[in-house]
Amino acid sequence: MSIERTKSKQKVKEPKTKITWKEIKRQKVLLFWAAIMVVYGVVFYYLPLAGWTMAFQNYKPRLGIFHSQFVGWDKFRTLFSDMTFIRVIRNTLAMGVINLVVTFITAIVFAILLNEIKSKGGKKVVQTISYLPHFLSWIIVTGILHDMLSGGGIVNELLLNFHIISQPINFFAHPGYFWPIVAFANVWKETGWNAIIYLAAITSIDPSLYEAAAIDGAGRWAKIKHVTLPGIKPTIIILLLMNVGNVLNAGFEVQYLLGNGLVQKVSQTIDIYVLKWGISQGDFAIGTAAGIFKSFVSIILIVIANQIAKRNGEEQLF
Amino acid sequence: MKRKRMLSALLVVAMAATMFAGCGNKGGSNSSTQGGKAANDGDIKEFTAFFAVPGSEINDDNEVQQIIAEKTGVKVKETWLTGQTAEEAIGTLVAGDEYPDFICGGNGMPQLYDAGALVALDDYIDKYPNIKNYFTEQEWDQLRQDDGHIYWIPQFSNIKGEEKTCTHNDEAFWIQARVLEWANYPEIKTMDDYFKLIEDYNAANPTMEDGTENIPYTILCEDWRYFCLENAPQFLDGYPNDGSCMVDPDTLKVMDYNTSDTAVKYFKKLNEEYQKGIVDPESFTQTYDEYIAKLSSGRVLGMIDQWWDFAFSAGDAIKSAGLDAQGCDYIPVPVTIDGRKNQWHNSGGVLNSGDGLAITKDCDDVEAALQFVDDLLSEEIHNLRFWGVEGEDYQVGDDGLFYRTKEQRAKAAETDYKASHACSYSYFPQYDGTCDDGLNATKPSGQAKEFFDGLNEDVKKAFQAYGVETYVEMLGTNEAPGPWYPMWSFSNNFTTDTEGGMAWTKIGEVKHEQLPQVVMAKDFDSAWKTYMDAYNACNPDAFLSELQAELDKRMKDAAKYE
Amino acid sequence: MAAKKAKKKVQIFPIVNTIIMILFVIITLYPVLNTLAISLNDGTDSLRGGIYLLPRKFTWKNYITVLQKDNLITGAYVTVARTVIGTVLALISNAILAFIVSRKRFMFKKQLSLFWVITMYVNGGLIPTFLLYKGLGLTNSFWVYVIPGMVSAFNMLVIRTYMNGIPDSLEESAQLDGAGYTTIFLKIYSPLCKPVYATVALFVAVGQWNSWFDAMLYNRMNGKLTTLQYELMKLLSSVTNTSSSVEAMKNAAGTVTPTSVRAAATIITILPIICIYPFLQKYFVTGLTLGGVKE
Repeated sequence: MSIERTKSKQKVKEPKTKITWKEIKRQKVLLFWAAIMVVYGVVFYYLPLAGWTMAFQNYKPRLGIFHSQFVGWDKFRTLFSDMTFIRVIRNTLAMGVINLVVTFITAIVFAILLNEIKSKGGKKVVQTISYLPHFLSWIIVTGILHDMLSGGGIVNELLLNFHIISQPINFFAHPGYFWPIVAFANVWKETGWNAIIYLAAITSIDPSLYEAAAIDGAGRWAKIKHVTLPGIKPTIIILLLMNVGNVLNAGFEVQYLLGNGLVQKVSQTIDIYVLKWGISQGDFAIGTAAGIFKSFVSIILIVIANQIAKRNGEEQLF
Repeated sequence: MKRKRMLSALLVVAMAATMFAGCGNKGGSNSSTQGGKAANDGDIKEFTAFFAVPGSEINDDNEVQQIIAEKTGVKVKETWLTGQTAEEAIGTLVAGDEYPDFICGGNGMPQLYDAGALVALDDYIDKYPNIKNYFTEQEWDQLRQDDGHIYWIPQFSNIKGEEKTCTHNDEAFWIQARVLEWANYPEIKTMDDYFKLIEDYNAANPTMEDGTENIPYTILCEDWRYFCLENAPQFLDGYPNDGSCMVDPDTLKVMDYNTSDTAVKYFKKLNEEYQKGIVDPESFTQTYDEYIAKLSSGRVLGMIDQWWDFAFSAGDAIKSAGLDAQGCDYIPVPVTIDGRKNQWHNSGGVLNSGDGLAITKDCDDVEAALQFVDDLLSEEIHNLRFWGVEGEDYQVGDDGLFYRTKEQRAKAAETDYKASHACSYSYFPQYDGTCDDGLNATKPSGQAKEFFDGLNEDVKKAFQAYGVETYVEMLGTNEAPGPWYPMWSFSNNFTTDTEGGMAWTKIGEVKHEQLPQVVMAKDFDSAWKTYMDAYNACNPDAFLSELQAELDKRMKDAAKYE
Repeated sequence: MAAKKAKKKVQIFPIVNTIIMILFVIITLYPVLNTLAISLNDGTDSLRGGIYLLPRKFTWKNYITVLQKDNLITGAYVTVARTVIGTVLALISNAILAFIVSRKRFMFKKQLSLFWVITMYVNGGLIPTFLLYKGLGLTNSFWVYVIPGMVSAFNMLVIRTYMNGIPDSLEESAQLDGAGYTTIFLKIYSPLCKPVYATVALFVAVGQWNSWFDAMLYNRMNGKLTTLQYELMKLLSSVTNTSSSVEAMKNAAGTVTPTSVRAAATIITILPIICIYPFLQKYFVTGLTLGGVKE
């Protein structure tokens, strides 16, 4: 059914509802609840944004938000004149994009492959196990990763045994390995968990579509390509759009725990920078300024992405 | 069917709601019931305390805490920093303008002072003899802030009577007992001696008894623990641990240990040893856990570290694996660049004026709170805090000496026992040194007999060979360096608000990245030059001049008392 | 010919797929089993490292340490309460909101969506949020666990996407029968949305179950409102790597909690989730068999 919907969407532009008294009356239940939700949203999400004024102040806890000295764009100037911050943006963006791409693909592939498993019990077992690493804290996961990639760890042993290398590689000493390691860690921890949402989406696919496809002589790949994938496409698009806005939130803990002095040029993210130069120095304003920058970039990114989706007749965020 | 299911769903919600309501009610009536209980218990007053450092919480029904409460009429509910930085935690408290009765802000202390959250203590101090005697007049004055008032009482490193220290709870060059034994306990005086001995031993014994390869020398570099790599030059020059610089005791000038000749020699040496394969190639990427695992496995022959950073965790593990029989425990050796005398271990307390226990403006009974602090310093309560209950946690010998049986010692180390029984009020003021009886140490860790009973055989043997009895004697002890000491109590509170603080943070970044490169470089000289260029670009003079200004200020303040 | 080819593929694929799945299970199971092994191993011994799938020095001690933590029972009660109430409230409100914004006719559809999408990317920061909650009287209360975050754009969008997949004809025909939006939402959409409700319920419940920061920030001084995870965090906090104060480390050094206790706490946290998961799982696995297996 979702396929039909997508198709029809491409053809017919959605009719725009005109605001008339009749419509208002008709939609009064919707409007009533929508109003409640807006009030809630304003209070819990928009009101705290008053705190953004901190970024334009020399914030002193004693004076609070309302009485601290106003310094205009000084904090932003400080940030963007610091080469370290520029580098940190690059790192965050790079890791954000890499993580987005790989975790996305692995989760979708995993969900589809799992869907192809015939044994019901097997499917349940695999799924249950796959999401478990999500519950391990980063400190545990990175600890195990350190173990595996160390000089005497299993990865070096294997590479040595297969004569791919002659000397153990010190993976954490080379900046070139850092981003892939972080990406792997994310895939390892979150693939099963991220797949849950796609598995739920697959259930919405009408079984008769598979039957129809089978009658048309479609093989397994054809069914995946023409039935399963289009069926979960709206979910994929929505998640992709949402996550595009999150590329600057590439994280903090995993980079902090895996990084070291030798790779700090590629390992530090915006959040680490903020902690180091702002909060642990008692400067909350720097953190707020960086936060505003992140929000600003995120919103621009999703507006662009949403526009692209719209032009291609895909599911949109708004 | 559906209605039934809906109904059951509703039921679950209702049940949960009542359950929560129960919780809420309990929460609400909590204070009143406690008030009621207090009346029964003979008016035990409850205070709250927040310490912006990580710590272990004790149980609500902790036994020693109860005994102390009965004796003093006060009980303090302590909470510790969890998952935040001290600055963040204090920042939230300040923003919310609600404070516990007692507070120790850690690095966030200036924020609290700034926010006017603390009660000035100077008017009260004279009324409480134990508090009054806790510091000398000069020390009290050192604690005065810009406005001339005293707001907090530093809790640690305060020595009463004769100093009783057996461990060197600080940084040193360490070497395994088996290495010293193999070389027949030689005198190790210089950096070259130290590395030569490690090299020789490793050449003769490349593996442990079970065939595991030795790691001759490793360096911990993780995050703030990279002092194991970076600050050795000050010790090699014989200076005490001022933390961020060296201070010439004659000219009273601040000197930079990063750029000294000794620094060049030391890093060149590390570089050579690295090329020879003596320095662990994983040094710069290992985590703290991996480092402790290496030490615990007994493979590491030597390293530089602070005692508290490895001795408790790795030391216990070495013992529990029986590796002490192979001589895998660590002995400190007094190594300097050319064999000059070191001043690593100093007698006398260290006043860290930047931080301490304070009482907030939300405390409704400042006098009772201070009375409690005063009581905590009395001998009876102090012994309860650190030794425990007589007959239960420790014994008193016929000679009046406190000692612990093996079982008592083991029990004292258990996490559960600590939570349910022991209550040291560890972030309240306390004494090191000797009890009023002139006999016992104020804490078990200072009790000589206790200390020896706890030593492993390999350490005892080494100590005997060198004719010493404690770690401190291995290194020799010195008079306190001078009134400026330690400079780290100033540099720890640097913020990026000042040029010097900015430079200090930048220097940290550069050193984290460049020092490993310097050690690993094929061409030391060019790597060192790259490092020095990056270092000088951080404006180190701003940082040094701020240190110098603080030093001058401290000397001037001290001069008033001479 | 074509049929033959298809048949051949079918034979290879399940084998390859099974192998992939087995490999995947092995690499995802390993960290969990490793954590389990460490949780059952003597803490001091664990410091030496080198524990993989089996404990070297077996002990229950780590679990005893965790379970004897004071206030753990209170924390567990509060955590169960917040998980149940929080999940129910969040599910209801997100579903309502998703229903509204997925109505094609709704006049402020786009604006309302945008309003919520923005909330995902803006954040007032720790201190302003704290001040707000304090002003609303949410601090020192149970409600701070369930009211903020009740509606979240992410969960709402997940439900909305699913609802968008339901044909409009259902709504239209119901309206012709005189059904109002309330009836359509409760009687037609909600039953169809079970899989996505289950998914969102899982997300919210897991979030509630694992959260501790709010307990620390807003209810630190009220022992009766502590949560399970906060108690566990406190137990573990003496090993935090982030402490940068040498003095603090000197003082805490003797009391360092070994990795093993962390492992035990992790296992204790995961267990209830593993137990509850199958009940939710059926909603998104049974649907699968209908679609996937038929050839």
